[in-house]
Amino acid sequence: MTALLGYTGRVGLNLLYAVLRVCVLIVDTLGWVLVAPLRGKGLRVRSTVEHFVEFGVNSVPIVGLISFLIGAIMAMQSSYQLAKFGAMRYIAALVAVSGLRELAPLMTAILITGRSGSAITAEIGTMKVAEEIDALEVMGLNPTKFLVAPKFVAMLLAVPCVTVLSMAVMILGGFFLSTVVIGMDPDLYFEVTAQSIVGKDLVTGLVKSVFFAVTICWVGVYRGFQVEGGAEGVGKQTTSSVVTSIFCIILVDLVFTALFYFV
Amino acid sequence: MANDSNNIIEVRDLIVKYGERTVIDNVSFDVKRGETFVILGGSGCGKSTLLRNLAGLMRPHSGAIFINGQDFTAMNDNERIDIRRRLGMCFQGSALFNSMTVADNVALALREHTKLNESTIEIMTKIKLELVGLGGFGDFMPAEISGGMKKRAGLARAMAMDPEIIFYDEPSAGLDPIVAAGLDALIRKMQSTFNLTSVVVTHELASVNLIADRVCMLKDGRIVEMGTIDGLRASQEPFVKQFFERRPDEEGDTREEYVRSLTDN
Repeated sequence: MTALLGYTGRVGLNLLYAVLRVCVLIVDTLGWVLVAPLRGKGLRVRSTVEHFVEFGVNSVPIVGLISFLIGAIMAMQSSYQLAKFGAMRYIAALVAVSGLRELAPLMTAILITGRSGSAITAEIGTMKVAEEIDALEVMGLNPTKFLVAPKFVAMLLAVPCVTVLSMAVMILGGFFLSTVVIGMDPDLYFEVTAQSIVGKDLVTGLVKSVFFAVTICWVGVYRGFQVEGGAEGVGKQTTSSVVTSIFCIILVDLVFTALFYFV
Repeated sequence: MANDSNNIIEVRDLIVKYGERTVIDNVSFDVKRGETFVILGGSGCGKSTLLRNLAGLMRPHSGAIFINGQDFTAMNDNERIDIRRRLGMCFQGSALFNSMTVADNVALALREHTKLNESTIEIMTKIKLELVGLGGFGDFMPAEISGGMKKRAGLARAMAMDPEIIFYDEPSAGLDPIVAAGLDALIRKMQSTFNLTSVVVTHELASVNLIADRVCMLKDGRIVEMGTIDGLRASQEPFVKQFFERRPDEEGDTREEYVRSLTDN
């Protein structure tokens, strides 16, 4: 019993400590991103652009492919049910709405976590192990400004951009399957798609993707700074970074889905 | 507070703890302007921790570190940045930024802290690299040069802002004797050419002989002996004698005693 209480207490304290550390990191990052440029201490633009290319542009092929396949899969799955009601034309509506509101932001976030969230952790972790973070500090360069702020801004721009692309490709995937395989009229598909989606669907998807971006970046960075020991520590935290990040993304997804459902 | 202007670093009653464990226990010493001060000690005696405190990478539990008469430990992070520009540090594993070329590593501090134009920075970078014997290696990535060259590049980077003090963490660790001797000579040259103050953490007796003006010997976080290298060599302190004579810890004289010492627990 005592052991159980002790265990719960330790886990609780560790969690609280982690939340506190993340909060400090958030305040620090926002300080460097929002306040510092006003004081003439600019953001590292080149590094930001490089990271944008890495997080965003380079993830386009894989996100595109997966989105196309998911769109096709959704069309197939829904036709299986809708055929019973003779409501095949609503395949288009189903693919478009679930794609925009849910699947495009989620798939994009999870893929970018796997590609770049892990890379952020590994990069910062390796730098910490090799004393490069210490070297930055000794040189009077703030690691948050130098390493975190460019990644944060790049991620914040990259994820929504790729999400929009994923939305479009997902609809295209549904379109391809419905017209080529099921034999639906192409004009009808686009007509139903256009009728079924409203502005709020797009807004929901984009708002989610912004918060997913924040989650991916901060979990990646936090895990990176937590690396202790050598290469083994980097590996451990990288794995843990992806798992934590996906878990947090699902939580954020739940919160925002509920928010848009009730509001 | 005793502020002698000959002393560039003054450490007073420094105590450093990791959790409950005391790593540096009440250490006080002075480093004079322009000298090479060596912190000597066995593995795990706290010498690297002491250096990290001097460089401001850790905050001590109590005690004070004065750099140029200013209390480094009591400052906030912004005030520390000004002091840090006058410090350089060479890390054990060189800690070059692997994503940048050697020249960019050296130029980084200049680009971030000064408003010099790019061509001036390029020239200054070239001079620093020539200084450590790496002229022509500026465009190499850190992964493409040898361990000894990395340490030299690390020194060039530490020298970039023309600091007054340079900290060296185990400069000769992991290098062969010839390369290590070359690095020792370089440390000596920097000190005499630029009147730099150097604080070197090491356990290599060979390099201590070459570079040290004064040595302080640490054991279990305490200073056991301080003085010139000859003073230490003549010391009657058992640990210092053992260290200089390279004797292992006593493990029992006979084979039976040794076996018993392994099983008695």
